[in-house]
Amino acid sequence: MKVVRPIAAIALAALFFFPVYVVVTGMLKPVKDIQSSPLGLPAPPTGANLDAVLGREDGLYWSALINSVQITVLSVLALTLLSAMLAHYLVRSTARWTRPALLMLLAGLMIPPAVILQPVTQVLGAVGLMNSVVGVVCANVAYYLPFGVFVFSGFIGTVPIEMEEAASIDGASRFRLFWQVVFPTLRPAAASVMIFLGVWVWNDFLTPLIVLGPEAGTTVTVGVYRSVGEYSTNFGTLYAFSFLASLPVLLFFVALQKQFVAGLTTGAVK
Amino acid sequence: MLLSNRQPRKRHSVLVPVREFSGFALPGLFLYGLLVLVPIGWTVVLGFTDRNRFAPDTSWVGLDQFRRLLEDDQFWLVLRNTFVVTAIVVVVPNVLGLAIALLLDRDTLLYRLLRSVFFTPVILSGIVVSVIWQSMLRPDGVLNKVFGDVGWLSDPGIALYSISGILCWQMLGFCVVVYLAGLNGVPKELHEAAIVDGAGWWRRFRSVTWPMIASAVTINTVMLLISGFKVYEHVLVLTNGGPGRNTTASIAFDVIEKGVRGDRIGFAAAEATIMLCIIVALSGLVLRLLQRREVHL
Repeated sequence: MKVVRPIAAIALAALFFFPVYVVVTGMLKPVKDIQSSPLGLPAPPTGANLDAVLGREDGLYWSALINSVQITVLSVLALTLLSAMLAHYLVRSTARWTRPALLMLLAGLMIPPAVILQPVTQVLGAVGLMNSVVGVVCANVAYYLPFGVFVFSGFIGTVPIEMEEAASIDGASRFRLFWQVVFPTLRPAAASVMIFLGVWVWNDFLTPLIVLGPEAGTTVTVGVYRSVGEYSTNFGTLYAFSFLASLPVLLFFVALQKQFVAGLTTGAVK
Repeated sequence: MLLSNRQPRKRHSVLVPVREFSGFALPGLFLYGLLVLVPIGWTVVLGFTDRNRFAPDTSWVGLDQFRRLLEDDQFWLVLRNTFVVTAIVVVVPNVLGLAIALLLDRDTLLYRLLRSVFFTPVILSGIVVSVIWQSMLRPDGVLNKVFGDVGWLSDPGIALYSISGILCWQMLGFCVVVYLAGLNGVPKELHEAAIVDGAGWWRRFRSVTWPMIASAVTINTVMLLISGFKVYEHVLVLTNGGPGRNTTASIAFDVIEKGVRGDRIGFAAAEATIMLCIIVALSGLVLRLLQRREVHL
């Protein structure tokens, strides 16, 4: 049994990881090698596929990267602040309507984007935010707000209220009370909110596809989809684009791996 | 002792006046209302009209769209497809995820590394995952070098299961990590006590581990249910609803296709309304059933 466990674990993981291996080796091979020996190592590795994506005439990868970074950073910052403030109010307030409001927000966790997509474009169109990065950010903030509130409200319940009362007696304004007393205690929850939403927003497809439209460019995720037809049989380039589109999120994951798992543990299992 | 025994307090408004706080709640509630609640209401209302982007006026048609929907074979087909995918996605990653979590439940470098291996697809986008698999499942792709000549995405009897399998591949790591966290929360003393009582591996799993990871089961099941039911990107990239007409189309795919085409917005809205009712009812039911068996120490 001592030997069986690691061997079984490694074998299963290797089988599971096979598609990732195909992509990472494939993007370093010339196209004809991908067809003839998909399993072999790239010998010698070529950077031609990566160059083809990075050096596109229309600069699609780079413009998409700028859009993705803007949308992700703005959405995650706005979501963290707004959902922390909202969750704090809903948990601490004694008003009668906060309980149903919290339940209604949490029900939002299960709404499929397909159900609201059409009217969302109408609302954004009416306020002049269609085909803009700001429009995508607004749609993201609204759609993912329930997740932020879910994590923060669970966490705020475990933070003692005495600290806030003390600060209140000392005459701190509501504003100072929140930013200097409450928010710093929410840091672990904020970390998991930012990590999860960062990955989800980066990977989002439908909202940037429809809200940005072809007019305002694409995000990297939409860029991968748009280039499928263009690279139809040129898998090396398609793999390279997929890899470059996922690279920021993979680096993010490697850097924050511990918090990632911790976030899943506290947010989910507790 | 006195301090620790007191009731959790909610009524503390003497010290923290509530009214001044409410400004903090407004921006979030405003956006949620404008871009989630209003759109839901709008979709429901549109379902009772004959709205069509190419016709100048829209009129109220009562339940006509719903009646037409229930008589439409294509609607039942996409609903069936969605249920097939959802059922597979709820069961397979759940069972495999628990098995793999039990296998990886050791805290050494090797097992931590393997955990990341299983988690990687979770952080990739559905589009990237679908693009990768599509290249491997082509008639001349890698998988057919082993399996011969299987129409993974071109055989109407297989394509839906290929899509389900890919979704399972992507969700498995999530289940593994949640189950590992659950296993981590089982107190060692309980296992030791059971061993002293002479319980074997299966008995300990059944009577100690299983009840203690009930909340992990709840989270995974609900998460898988919601993800399976709204499947869209995978269908779009892998098969675009085909081969043939709607053999792999999911309800989300169908609603979006109709909405983008724009010629039957009222009809699509009725379909979206039914979709919303099903997922709310299903997750409510599953949550209630599963939470009943959760134990809290």
